[in-house]
Amino acid sequence: MKKTLGVIAAVAFALPLLAQDKTFKIGIPLPLTGAEAKFGEMEKQAYEMATAEINAKGGVKGHKLVLDIQDSGGKPETASGIVEKFITTEKYPIVVGEYTSQCSYAVAGVAEKYNVPYLVVTGAADKITQQGWKNVFRLNPPASLYNMGVFSFFETVAKPTSIAILYENTDFGNSTSKAMKEYCEKNRINVVLAEGYQAGGVDFKPILQKVKSLRPDVVYMVSYLMDASLLMRQSKELDINPKIFIGGGAGHTLPEFLTNAAEASEDCMSATLWTPQVKYPGAKKFFDDFKAKFGKEPDYHGAEAYAAAYVLADTLNRAQAWTPDGLRAALAATDMMTAFGPVKFISWGAFTNQNKMDTLVLQVVNKKFETVWPKEAASAKYIYPAPRWRDRK
Amino acid sequence: MSPQVAGQIELLGQVLISGILLGGLYALIGLGMSLIMGVMKIINLAHGELMMVAMYITFWAFTLWKVDPYVSLLIVLPLMFLLGVGIQKYLLAPVMDANTVLPQNQVLLTVGLGLVLSNLALLLFTANYRSVPVSYASKTIYWDIKMGGQTISLSFSFPFLVAFGIAMVLGALLFLFLGKTDTGRAIRATAQDKRAAALMGVDTKKITMITFGLGTALVGAAGALLDPVYYLYPQIGGPFTNKAFVITVLGGMGNIPGAILGGLVLGLAESLGSVYISLGYKEAFGFVIFVAVLIFMPKGLLGKGRA
Amino acid sequence: MKSSRFLLPFALVVILLIPAVVKSPYLLHMLILSMLWVVLGQSWNLLGGFTGQISYGHAAFFGVGAYTTGIIVKLGYSPKVAWSGLLFGGLAAALIAALIGWICFRLRGPYFSLSVLALAEVLRIVAINFKALTNGAEGILYLPAFNGKAYYYYIVLALVTVNFLVIRSVMRSKLGFYFLAIREDQDAAESLGINPTRYKLTSLLISAFFTGAGGAFYMNYLGFIDPGIVFSIPDISVMMILVTMLGGAATFWGPAVGAVLYILCSEFLRVWLPSGHLIFFGILIIAIIIFFPNGIVGSLNDLKARKKRRLAADAAAATPTAPSVAA
Repeated sequence: MKKTLGVIAAVAFALPLLAQDKTFKIGIPLPLTGAEAKFGEMEKQAYEMATAEINAKGGVKGHKLVLDIQDSGGKPETASGIVEKFITTEKYPIVVGEYTSQCSYAVAGVAEKYNVPYLVVTGAADKITQQGWKNVFRLNPPASLYNMGVFSFFETVAKPTSIAILYENTDFGNSTSKAMKEYCEKNRINVVLAEGYQAGGVDFKPILQKVKSLRPDVVYMVSYLMDASLLMRQSKELDINPKIFIGGGAGHTLPEFLTNAAEASEDCMSATLWTPQVKYPGAKKFFDDFKAKFGKEPDYHGAEAYAAAYVLADTLNRAQAWTPDGLRAALAATDMMTAFGPVKFISWGAFTNQNKMDTLVLQVVNKKFETVWPKEAASAKYIYPAPRWRDRK
Repeated sequence: MSPQVAGQIELLGQVLISGILLGGLYALIGLGMSLIMGVMKIINLAHGELMMVAMYITFWAFTLWKVDPYVSLLIVLPLMFLLGVGIQKYLLAPVMDANTVLPQNQVLLTVGLGLVLSNLALLLFTANYRSVPVSYASKTIYWDIKMGGQTISLSFSFPFLVAFGIAMVLGALLFLFLGKTDTGRAIRATAQDKRAAALMGVDTKKITMITFGLGTALVGAAGALLDPVYYLYPQIGGPFTNKAFVITVLGGMGNIPGAILGGLVLGLAESLGSVYISLGYKEAFGFVIFVAVLIFMPKGLLGKGRA
Repeated sequence: MKSSRFLLPFALVVILLIPAVVKSPYLLHMLILSMLWVVLGQSWNLLGGFTGQISYGHAAFFGVGAYTTGIIVKLGYSPKVAWSGLLFGGLAAALIAALIGWICFRLRGPYFSLSVLALAEVLRIVAINFKALTNGAEGILYLPAFNGKAYYYYIVLALVTVNFLVIRSVMRSKLGFYFLAIREDQDAAESLGINPTRYKLTSLLISAFFTGAGGAFYMNYLGFIDPGIVFSIPDISVMMILVTMLGGAATFWGPAVGAVLYILCSEFLRVWLPSGHLIFFGILIIAIIIFFPNGIVGSLNDLKARKKRRLAADAAAATPTAPSVAA
């Protein structure tokens, strides 16, 4: 009996404390196990870093942000289950995150069904914001726009006449390479080869030899993971010498690309959404802080997650009510600058509530990623055409 | 000869070289599986995960003590052998003895084992992609052939060449071991008829332990050889387990020359198919040959397997 | 057996009333997934457990069922029409099964197991590359026909029930006896005049039909599929075996026990152990196999049988052990 009283007293004493420490919980599904775990982990760390910063400055309207990150294993079935729980059991008024296009797409379907706003952070397949769903907002540009920087580089500098396209057979690879192919066909660039491959191949030499025999000006590759390094290493082994190798983002922008492909990565370009050299406020600080805190370099995935937390905080600050309706209205009115770039959800063409931003081109120069295009954002001068392998030191 | 024709010859030559060299690595992955399936009649669904373990051993040996991946075979082979013996002794053997409706419990156990191994690696080593940056990773030997006024330039990747050589040596040693030693003969006897072998005085328990150990060591060797040309992360195993199945069935279970042939056929099918048919269907060619062999040569390509 | 005659209707009433009482969509979601896995486990069990033909590639049938449904919507029909996938998806899966069975049932043992696995892989690769029909790696997505969980709950409940009743009546008929005979000793069965290929094929067709229907339900319920999900060897094929073996192969109630255990354990572990939940899941599998080699239901039955045998030790004359079906 005494014990019970003690507990009740303790609870009664604790209650005001709890009330003072108001929190707002954010539900985020992420792949923390499975093949995409690496990216899930990076995004998780970026979310945590951003919320810690926001909370250190007093949180949002006196509420501390608390993250509820759950492992989806990169499986859409699990991701939609998690989000269903977020919405119906936990009653979270907004959903953020996920990594792959597949999971983001599945989560978007659930969010739309329950009429709860969902901020897509990484999933890039075009169709996610092409359904006319009013609850789905996307921070990152759609895959078909990843190449905008590359296109402008083509038009101004490279002016290639032929191209070979190799892409990973995933949602992201399909979307990105399709946009490139359509652009090339429209602009009379001869597509000599366009083939998809299954991620995780050991030996790309046969298909690369075929590329070599076709002698294209540009070899364009869309690779998620380490395939990017292998493609470059094996291209070097086969002495394939197009005027330039260009990646479609993802694998070609990872810090691991530099170490694993080593000298074979030199001069390789890639489309990218973000580099530490971008001139957005806070970008450099994010990169340095992240590297200091976690001992590894973040790429654009980390920047996306970091910015998403700030977009959410901004939305919460402006929202009339922290309900799905209130947050949806506030999210739709977002117009802010983040470390990842400007964020404003607009609708054009087939897209609804889609952020639009300039994409960049980076190049490996002296074993470092440098931003080389567009000129205004460049941190180094581009090297084009790249020297032949045998002419390099 | 026109440059186009020369280009086509170069393409074909390079595709054949790549297919055969890759096939050597595949053969090593398949050898272990074939041995285990031949003797124990079970499918080891943790085969790829065991390879992953060997890849991490090689990686850490290189990263911490600068041990060359080929030298680290000397550590990897015995370690993996012991791991295999341990798995057989403490996990699979007790389950084998149980009286069950279906003989599939060991297989399910290997599923559990695979889950534990890959997620333990995730927890211990994080999800990061690693590679073993040896100096010779991209080293290539070129072979220029003059033909009809054109130069055909073929290239051989050094680490693939070494991997192929070591795979063939290990395959030959295994073949000799099975044919010439008492233990080897006991393994073959157990594979043919376990009960009869036991009656003839073979300690089948010990033999299965050695078999699983050998199979694990072989796939471990494949992992170590793969490190310089590939990369590693905790979930790398799965697709390699599938390849091992295909090779095993192509060669006939427990058939050593068959497994090597199966590996080469798979390597060639993938490289030829990806260039001349479709890159997207690359992974399917192995399976198509697999089913064709099942239908027309149910005892494997060499016709000596035990169906 | 007698107790189940009263227990069963009672349990059925409870199960029927759940959606009226349980309002949490999340909880219902878990129950729906569990029941879907019961269907998958039962279907695998008919072929693997009762007939003894181990398939490592049932994802092939699951995926064909799911894709049939998805393609119905892709062709422009409404998601309501897509429910016909329960029938057509099942039939399409059975058709594929007939083809592979016709080719492979001349082979025994691991060869059949592995060729079904190859089939699943080939279908996955075709689904990735045949974009005109399947959207390739993008997958197929639509908003499901119903908004409330209760609809899905009752549909999957009906599916489980039909599946259960069909399998039970098959196993209690002559057909079931043939299946068991083939599992126990194919040569002996053949010498008794049982055509093994024919009956293995029959078992496979029923099994594939319900697996395909399960796939169709999956698509209708979740509204999203892609080749990597529905043709997955580790996530579908192997888990179907796992569910059956954990609960007890060749028992009527095993798959149900295994499925509920699988869904609840993996969800519980995922939530409580964000990192490392799969390690514990793996250890759980190993532990169950070592301590319950015939699955939970199977081992309980063994225990019961042993007790009964001890009691009836005197009466037990040397009756020949016929292949038996446990409850």
